[in-house]
Amino acid sequence: MAEIEDRLAAYFAAEYRRSPAPAAAARARLVGRLASVPPPRRRARAFAWLLGPRVVLSPLAGACAALALVAIGVAVSPTLRDTLRVALPRPASTPAAGGTRVPAGGAGSERLVQFVLVAPGASRVGVVGDFNGWDPLGSPMRRIGDAWTVAVPVSRGRHVYAFVVDGTRWVSDPAAPLAPEDEFGFRKSVMVVAGADST
Amino acid sequence: MTDAELVARVLDGHVADFALLVDRHHADCLRFARHLLGNEHDAEDATQEAFVHAYTSLGRYDERNLFRAWLYRILVNQCRTLARQRGRRDRRFVQDPARVEGAEHPATAGRDDLREPLAAALGALEPRMREAFLLRYGEGMGYAEMARVTGSGVSALKMRVKRALAILRPRLEELLGG
Repeated sequence: MAEIEDRLAAYFAAEYRRSPAPAAAARARLVGRLASVPPPRRRARAFAWLLGPRVVLSPLAGACAALALVAIGVAVSPTLRDTLRVALPRPASTPAAGGTRVPAGGAGSERLVQFVLVAPGASRVGVVGDFNGWDPLGSPMRRIGDAWTVAVPVSRGRHVYAFVVDGTRWVSDPAAPLAPEDEFGFRKSVMVVAGADST
Repeated sequence: MTDAELVARVLDGHVADFALLVDRHHADCLRFARHLLGNEHDAEDATQEAFVHAYTSLGRYDERNLFRAWLYRILVNQCRTLARQRGRRDRRFVQDPARVEGAEHPATAGRDDLREPLAAALGALEPRMREAFLLRYGEGMGYAEMARVTGSGVSALKMRVKRALAILRPRLEELLGG
C-alpha cells in the first residue's frame, strides 16, 4: 500500500519537475519591476546596543583607567579634581563605544537599472559604462528572444554607457539620448539615475 | 554563498545580489504558483508580488529561518490573496475547514496552461489539499518547513497530503499504467 503510494508520489514529482519551465521573460519582468522599488533597509532593532557585543574590562584595568583619568583631571583643574575624587572611587566595567551602526540604507543610493538591447543576430552582448569601469565582460547580458538584458546596480546621478556586441562592436542605446562626450570615437548613451528618495 | 549571506549583502547595500536570490528561487516559485493557481498569468502576478514584497521586507527576514520557507510563505499568502480576489469567478479557494479537510471537489475547469493529465489530477483537489500536496511532492518540503510556509499544523498537513494522494491515486495509477 505504502509502496504504491510512494511510487505514485515519485511519479507525480517527476511529472511536476518536467512541467514547462517558467519563461525567462517573467524573470526579466520581475527584475525590471524590482529596479523601480526602493532598496530594502535593515530593520532597526530596539535596544540593540544592549544586546550587541561589548568590551568588558577587568576590574584591574578599570582601576588603572580610572586612576589615569584622575591624574589627568588633577593636572587639568582643581575644581575637576574635587569632582573626580567623589566620582571615581568605584572603578567598574566599562562599556565600549560600540552599538552605533552605519545604517544599511546609507548604501541604498545604488539602484538596479535594467538594460535592454534588441540584437537578434548577436552571439553575446554586454553593457559597459562608468559604473562598471567600462569592462566589456563586467555586465554580460542574457538573451531573451531577440533581446538581451541585464540588471546592473548603478549609483544615483548621470552615467554614460554603451553596449558591446560580440565583444568588438560598440553600440549606443537607441532608446536613450546620445552622450556628447565621445572621446574614443564610440557612440555612447547617457542616463540619469534618480535616488531612492526621489521616487 | 548561502541565501542568508546573500540577504545580508543586499541589506548592506549590494542590492544587485538580490538577482542571485531571484535566480535561485524564481523558477521554482513560478512553477509552484502555476500549479497551485492553474493559470500562467495569475502565477506570474503572484510570484512577482511575492518577490517584490520579499525584497522590500528583507529587513524583517530572520536569518535563523530558512530563506526558502520565508519566501514561500509570502508566495503562498500572495496566491491565497490573488485567488481570493480573482477566485470569486471560480471559487477555487474556500475558507471552510470542514470542506478543506473533507470532501473531494470536482475537477476545476480552466486550468488552461498545464499539461492535461497533471492539470486534471490537480484540479480534483481542494485548494488547501493541493497546496499541501504540491509543497510536499512538488517542492519536496518536509512537514516542518511546510508548517512554516502554510501556518498550518504538521498533523493537519499530513492529513491533507494523505487525502490528496488518496484522491489522486486512481488518476495517477491510470497515468502510470498508460
